[in-house]
Amino acid sequence: MNMEQAFQTFLAESSELLQDMEDKLLGFDSCDDCAESVNSIFRAVHTIKGSAGLFGLDEIVAFTHVVESVLDDVRSGSFVLDEQLINLLLQCKDYIGKMVDSIDGEAVLMAPEDLTVQAVLEQALGVYLNTEHSTAATALVGIDDADTYQSVSVIESDSAMANENWHISVYFGTDVLRNGMDPLSFIRYLATLGSIVHIETVTDALPGIEDMDAESCYLGYEINFHSSASKSQIEEVFEFVREDCQLKILPPYAKVSEFIDVIDTIQNDELRLGEILVRCGTLTQRELDNLLEMQHAVKEGGTHRLIGEIVVEDGLASSEVVTAALHKQAQGKKAKEKQAQTVRVDAEKLDHLINLIGELVIAGAGVESEAHLTGIGNLMESAQTMTRLVEEVRESALNLRMVQIGETFNRFFRVVRDVSKELGKDIDLHIDGADTELDKTVIEKISDPLMHLVRNSIDHGIESPALRAQRNKPATGNVKLNAYHESGTIVIEVSDDGGGLNREKILQKAIANGLVSAEAELSVQDINKLIFEAGFSTAEAISNISGRGVGMDVVRRNIEALRGTVEIDSEYTVGTTIRIRLPLTLAIIDGFMMKVGDAFYVVPLDIVEECIELNTNHNVGHDGRSYINLRGEVLPFIRLGDYFSKTGGSAKRENIVVIKYGSLKAGFVVDELMGEFQTVIKPLGPLFERVPGISGSTILGSGEVALILDASSLIHLVMQRDGKAISAAAKQSALH
Amino acid sequence: MAKTIMIVDDSASLRQVVSIALIGAGYDVIEGCDGKDALSKLKGQKISLIVSDVNMPNMDGITMVQEIKKLPAYKFTPIIMLTTESADDKKAAGQAAGAKAWMVKPFKPEQLLMAVSKLVQP
Repeated sequence: MNMEQAFQTFLAESSELLQDMEDKLLGFDSCDDCAESVNSIFRAVHTIKGSAGLFGLDEIVAFTHVVESVLDDVRSGSFVLDEQLINLLLQCKDYIGKMVDSIDGEAVLMAPEDLTVQAVLEQALGVYLNTEHSTAATALVGIDDADTYQSVSVIESDSAMANENWHISVYFGTDVLRNGMDPLSFIRYLATLGSIVHIETVTDALPGIEDMDAESCYLGYEINFHSSASKSQIEEVFEFVREDCQLKILPPYAKVSEFIDVIDTIQNDELRLGEILVRCGTLTQRELDNLLEMQHAVKEGGTHRLIGEIVVEDGLASSEVVTAALHKQAQGKKAKEKQAQTVRVDAEKLDHLINLIGELVIAGAGVESEAHLTGIGNLMESAQTMTRLVEEVRESALNLRMVQIGETFNRFFRVVRDVSKELGKDIDLHIDGADTELDKTVIEKISDPLMHLVRNSIDHGIESPALRAQRNKPATGNVKLNAYHESGTIVIEVSDDGGGLNREKILQKAIANGLVSAEAELSVQDINKLIFEAGFSTAEAISNISGRGVGMDVVRRNIEALRGTVEIDSEYTVGTTIRIRLPLTLAIIDGFMMKVGDAFYVVPLDIVEECIELNTNHNVGHDGRSYINLRGEVLPFIRLGDYFSKTGGSAKRENIVVIKYGSLKAGFVVDELMGEFQTVIKPLGPLFERVPGISGSTILGSGEVALILDASSLIHLVMQRDGKAISAAAKQSALH
Repeated sequence: MAKTIMIVDDSASLRQVVSIALIGAGYDVIEGCDGKDALSKLKGQKISLIVSDVNMPNMDGITMVQEIKKLPAYKFTPIIMLTTESADDKKAAGQAAGAKAWMVKPFKPEQLLMAVSKLVQP
């Protein structure tokens, strides 16, 4: 472990805490236990402050201190966390995040405009603060105020003693041992600051043996100490027992009055103490005599009030405060938060593991096929057991990468809140399926497209309050995020109850832009999809939220890069639902292998509905009438052999694999069915990246390569062929 | 044998930095991420000093100190509480619970080291 690692932990921890803070702030209106929410928010800022201090990031400490002070006052009930304060704290949260991002070594490098933001925030926070919090105390406070018990001299004829050493008089409280303090350890520490010339143990407080409590401390020390340390340094030695003990530190050449003070404070026989001082070498006998004389004089003069003023405060707070504090703590404890036990692992390590498991799967398949060739029963059985275990290991390894989408979704509360406010719309965000899990890489890559879609829904989807009223809709608009699993894919929906797509307008615009020809006949879906074309925006006014014409096509490209698809359901004036369909994982899938000629093809097993034999009863030919009657349903199909120009597929019996992708169904005609196959997805070389119908490759146990089919593009190909005239289909088959 | 110090804080980075400093100075360190965790890790260990945050989830520092003071084996183990300078009530509650030493957050590792070495030498 080194500081760099600790620093990385700090970065990760800060972003988590800030996220949590934001969630709590946004959810504050609907929280069950508001006290605990405030406590959590406070804790986030408090922890960041503490850790930042450790790394010497004073800028962060100073700013978080102000935020923390405001939160502390909220916690103690000085004022309530209202809408306005929540907004301010959200801005502060953003700013703290920015500071953490701007850390460069030991300094936080903020741009000048950011510092202006900071000044504005601090000023806004200042309104909530009373003056006592206004300065950031960065010093260690272990002693209330080191300078308050500088003796106040009232004696005019005060002469200095001829002693160049410090004199320390320390009498430990009876509870010091019970508090876990070892008086000797302080003395030992004191010795590191200088040399102890003489130490005298004062045992006067020791009771008789029958009254003695073994857990109590009765000792005091008079120490003659030679050191160049300052008074406060010496004082700090006793920092932890300050409240428990009587401590007097006299500098070299101390004044007579200060000695009187010591002698008076320690409620002892003055003569005896004087003797101790003499024995310590602090005072000479003559000095002591003078001193005692003077003391009597002072007492008679009635100025001995001095002592009372200097008696160490025992620092006990009023019992009310203690009770209140304890009560508050108990409340906090009741509302326990669910804290998931997690282990933080470097993403790279995880990727490496997944890679290795991919190789293991391939190697395992090789072993199994070799074992089959030998025909040795035991060997085959062992190989099978191993394959099963490898499969389990694969499952759990891939699970390690699975993350719930909820956290990504929750981020949108903030977006919806900010953007809708900016636009003067009232919008609620609803979230469903937050516990749906998908690959972390996919989650990372999907959050930007999602952001575009949500912003789009708010800006273009939800109408202005006036228009909503006109359409008899409730004034509050609704945006909904939903996620669920469907046949091996994950579906993420962004829907709104806004204006919906105006297909006429879209079509006009598309024709005007030359995206489609005027006489083309497009299906509803086709028109909807036009909004994903580059340079397409129907919004009349371009706002800074969306509508710059970039975005939707980028969204589509990002989704397609993840081997996903996107579709739109929309009804004018009623609402729009955009549905993103993504593969569950990017690394290893359960595949279904098929053979055409001498080539192998794989599709994800989850999308395979059934396999049937393609016999002459199905009455199919190569004339483009590529449909069969599947139990009364029309099933279009494609011959993979034709599509990939594979000849020699003169199989005795052809098979048709029925694939379901979303709401679409199609068949792939293949020569041979090879069955289930654990498929490690390998990317295609750059040369083949753009070949339609193929999404990747995999390596078989034998070392051969199989192509992974891009089911969605193949199905769409089939559907397109169907949607168009027969001539198009004829042209398609003529191509092959 | 090196003296063992337990550091209890919900901030992993704070624990790491403090551990680095303490281990560097020759102490052994046990980490606890909250009061509850600390209590469970305490059992059977010989611990010379506990440094604990106050505000933590699951079990806060004050409750933890109260619990520790109930355990005969740790009744006399010194405890340094880490608090904010504004939290006088916390300080008082910590004292009432049995922790007499306290230190203000934020602090530098060397400040903590100095405070620790006053109570326990490695």
